[in-house]
Amino acid sequence: MKLAFIDRRLVANFDWKLLALVLTIAAVGVFNIYSATASYGISGTPYHVRQLYWIVLGLSLVVLSCSIDYHLFEDFSYWFYGILVFLLLVVLVAGRTSMGATRWLSLGFFNIQPSEIMKIVMIMATARYFANLQVPHSLRLRDLGLPFLLVGGPVLLIMKQPDLGTAILVALIVASIMLYVGISPATLATLALSAVPAIYMGWHFYLRDYQKNRILNFLNPERDPLGSGYHIIQSKIAVGSGGPFGKGFLAGTQSQLRFLPEQHTDFAFSVFAEEWGFAGGMFMLTLYVVLILWGLDIARKCNDYFGSLLAVGVTAMLFWHIVINIGMVIGLFPVVGVPLPLFSYGGTSMITSMVGMGILFNIRMRRFMF
Amino acid sequence: MKDRRETWAKRRIYTVGAFFAVFFTVVSARAFYLQIVKHEDWVKLAERQHQKTVALTPARGAIYDAHGEPLAVSIEMDSCYAEPRNIEEMEDTVASLAPLLGINRDELVRKLSASRNFVWLQRRMSPEQAKKIKGLKMDGIGFVKETKRFYPNSETAAHVVGFTGMDPEGLEGIELKYDDLIVGNTGYLVTERDALGRSVGQAIVKQSSQGGDITLTLDKNIQYIAEKELGKAVLASGAKGGMALVMEPRTGKVLALANYPNFNPNSYSQYSPWVLRNRLVADSFEPGSTFKTFLVAAALEEKIVSPGDSFNCENGSYSIGGRVIHDTHKYSRLSVADILKYSSNIGAAKIGMRLGRDKLYGYLKNFGFAERSGIDLPGEAIGYLRDKSQWFGVDLSTISFGQGVSVSAVQLTAAMSAIANGGVLMKPYLVEKVTDSNGAVIRRFEPHQVRRVISPETATSVGRMMEGVTTEGGTGMNASVDGYRVAGKTGTAQKVDPVTKGYSVDKRTASFLGFLPVDDPRLTIMVIIDEPKTSPYGGVVAAPAFSAIAQQSLCYLHVPPAKGVRPPVPRTIEVRKETPQEMQAMVAEGTITDGNEGAMMPNFSGMSMRQVLRVMEKRGINVKLLGSGRVVEQFPRAGDRIRPTDQVMVKFAPSA
Repeated sequence: MKLAFIDRRLVANFDWKLLALVLTIAAVGVFNIYSATASYGISGTPYHVRQLYWIVLGLSLVVLSCSIDYHLFEDFSYWFYGILVFLLLVVLVAGRTSMGATRWLSLGFFNIQPSEIMKIVMIMATARYFANLQVPHSLRLRDLGLPFLLVGGPVLLIMKQPDLGTAILVALIVASIMLYVGISPATLATLALSAVPAIYMGWHFYLRDYQKNRILNFLNPERDPLGSGYHIIQSKIAVGSGGPFGKGFLAGTQSQLRFLPEQHTDFAFSVFAEEWGFAGGMFMLTLYVVLILWGLDIARKCNDYFGSLLAVGVTAMLFWHIVINIGMVIGLFPVVGVPLPLFSYGGTSMITSMVGMGILFNIRMRRFMF
Repeated sequence: MKDRRETWAKRRIYTVGAFFAVFFTVVSARAFYLQIVKHEDWVKLAERQHQKTVALTPARGAIYDAHGEPLAVSIEMDSCYAEPRNIEEMEDTVASLAPLLGINRDELVRKLSASRNFVWLQRRMSPEQAKKIKGLKMDGIGFVKETKRFYPNSETAAHVVGFTGMDPEGLEGIELKYDDLIVGNTGYLVTERDALGRSVGQAIVKQSSQGGDITLTLDKNIQYIAEKELGKAVLASGAKGGMALVMEPRTGKVLALANYPNFNPNSYSQYSPWVLRNRLVADSFEPGSTFKTFLVAAALEEKIVSPGDSFNCENGSYSIGGRVIHDTHKYSRLSVADILKYSSNIGAAKIGMRLGRDKLYGYLKNFGFAERSGIDLPGEAIGYLRDKSQWFGVDLSTISFGQGVSVSAVQLTAAMSAIANGGVLMKPYLVEKVTDSNGAVIRRFEPHQVRRVISPETATSVGRMMEGVTTEGGTGMNASVDGYRVAGKTGTAQKVDPVTKGYSVDKRTASFLGFLPVDDPRLTIMVIIDEPKTSPYGGVVAAPAFSAIAQQSLCYLHVPPAKGVRPPVPRTIEVRKETPQEMQAMVAEGTITDGNEGAMMPNFSGMSMRQVLRVMEKRGINVKLLGSGRVVEQFPRAGDRIRPTDQVMVKFAPSA
């Protein structure tokens, strides 16, 4: 097994079409950020320019994660996992607090968000676990014990920060991998039944008030139209008033007059949907669907089980981000601060997405290596 | 082994893919629902949120007389508002604005620091004031055009036109009656605002549509004549007030409707409610002898009397049902015509008794008494006519000569018009048409026949009898008009004291009601003098005003005088030596050239009101008269060029 292997064959096998797709999404995102922040009147580097820097940085990470043979990740995945769990503990003890949540570790010159890295590492660890689990049948309850522990610990730690969105995402990603591995119907039923008391316990002992409020407000936004229900209502107004073809670039009243919250980050898509309408929204959604199908195709065509699981995990990560974000923007899901991959403004999100994409490129270009 | 694993992987991938597909489908469906199905709802919500809307005074349509002379117009004025959040230099703004607005600084600061996005500083300010404030070009201070109601003719036709409140809703008269047609759609000042409530960009005015213009049947000149003559009659008799109504009998068109005292609708708040009330429509009173006309008409129509029949008038005193009826003068026998001519109560009572309760009641109802005439003015009085089953003892006799019944002036004039026009009761009306701002007719009003009351023959017959009233020896001689045959009837009624509910000892309603020319009646004219002091008789205090209104109106309408009647000669009422100034005016009068341009303003100095009016009427110029006595001031100055449309003001003062 080669540690770092870059030769002409690899470059030849690089999936340029996928890169084009990724860059298209990111470019539309940059334009949208330009519109979303046009009314901000900020001094310093504008958001859309900064987003370009993040894209460039992200692309260099794609190259970096491509250059390391992904099989190496299998060997190191538990190590990574251990380090990340440790970092999550450190965050709880010594993390930097911002806006009521302690999610960041200050490393002096920049801050890192361990929960975000955990998404990738969890995919690796889960993939490794199931790749080595030589079961000839679908997963049964007793096969899930260890993975639950593997996931449960970090999820609880992330919830404690509190970062409900990321915690849910991590859980959903792992669940998606399990779905791919295969779960017996009986086990699925048991899990569904046990979810009821779990949700009950979670509600009463784990969720913070503001998180409960978000969920209640999602169920009934009118409950608090000026408080936390505000986000949902405003976003729905923006998207709904966009109509079939939108109000035009830089012409969205709700976004340009800044009724939308977080409109360059989590609610970037509502700006887009307001200005480009249903047609624009469907265009973006189509790009994402193609991206997801591409990811699944990579998983299917991969020659080894770990790589396949890894690809499914990364694809699931992208998928859940997309669905939860767009679902939130159009009032389908509660507000859980999840950005839209490659599209929303934000360095962390861009880096995570690009690393994920790097893994997909990695798997794709090495499918003929065996 | 590898193949098996590959097919397995493929199947699992499809499972995951299908699972993902479900979510994508749900998201797409939701987006479709939000953006396509419920699109309109969200647009409304968005607008409500980002647009601050301030209602603006709707523009009211104009009110014109029959010839398009404006009686009520809306003029555009600037209203000044502030958007406190957009004011950058609060100190400077307050310092420079307070003196221009004429309010003290503290008050202005309070207004501007209010947490509102929008505050009116002053609505409908003078153009000079607006110009000064605009000149400062301050941030957060804006202007928008609003209209203000203006009545260019001041008192003329004030009771008909009515007036509007501060909010531009009609409060009286046509302004109230046709408010929904006159008033336009409310305009809106729309300001876009962001999530912090700051206004962004320019204020957008959503222009309102202007309301309809109303054209009245009223003729400003006849109205002016009626008001002028009524005013003189009221002043001359020392009366409390008076009213005059001129109607076209054939159609029911009201040509003039005057109450005295009247008011200036531009400053209506300074007047008492009694002055503001259109008493001619809203009040009812006992008609007195004018009512005998309808009695005679009914009796002739029923053929229970013929014009030649005569009645014993009992030498002025007739006892009936325990009550004694008196005549002013003692008569033994009078023909039906003479009963009208000399206004014999006893004669009327006897005709009434011969006609009978049921018939009289029926005819009075048919003539439109005790029912609303339907004139297009608000608050019409219905009058009072007891049901015939409630007529006891002397009631039939007294109602026959207009006592124990109350009517409104409009009802009375409409009923008289029915006799004038050959027996058909016409609905009196004031509005000719309503046009939109482009001049297209929205609604046109046509003459409306209520019912035929008497035959044309009866009507002609009654008209001839009434002519006797204004001829030598009749009670209404003063109502005669040179050159025309006049049919009329005097009326003198005791007023009912509101305290004792009995007849007042000294308060009278003196009236004259008639039409002319008798052969082809063009005008029905009613003059009522309320509580005259000099004489209680309609023939004395009301008839001269009738005559004056009739003469000037017929002259104005170019109605040719009848043959065989004494031709009209200019009456010189005031026999006085002309002052040099007056001579000069007469000379100047002769030099004035008619036409649209080049006329000169005569020198009125020292002239009487009548002289001034003569001069101005010949020129067809509207003159506004202030005060009484001799001319002390005029505008424009003598010798200035004037056009028929110009407003001419002449001020009088009592000569020492």
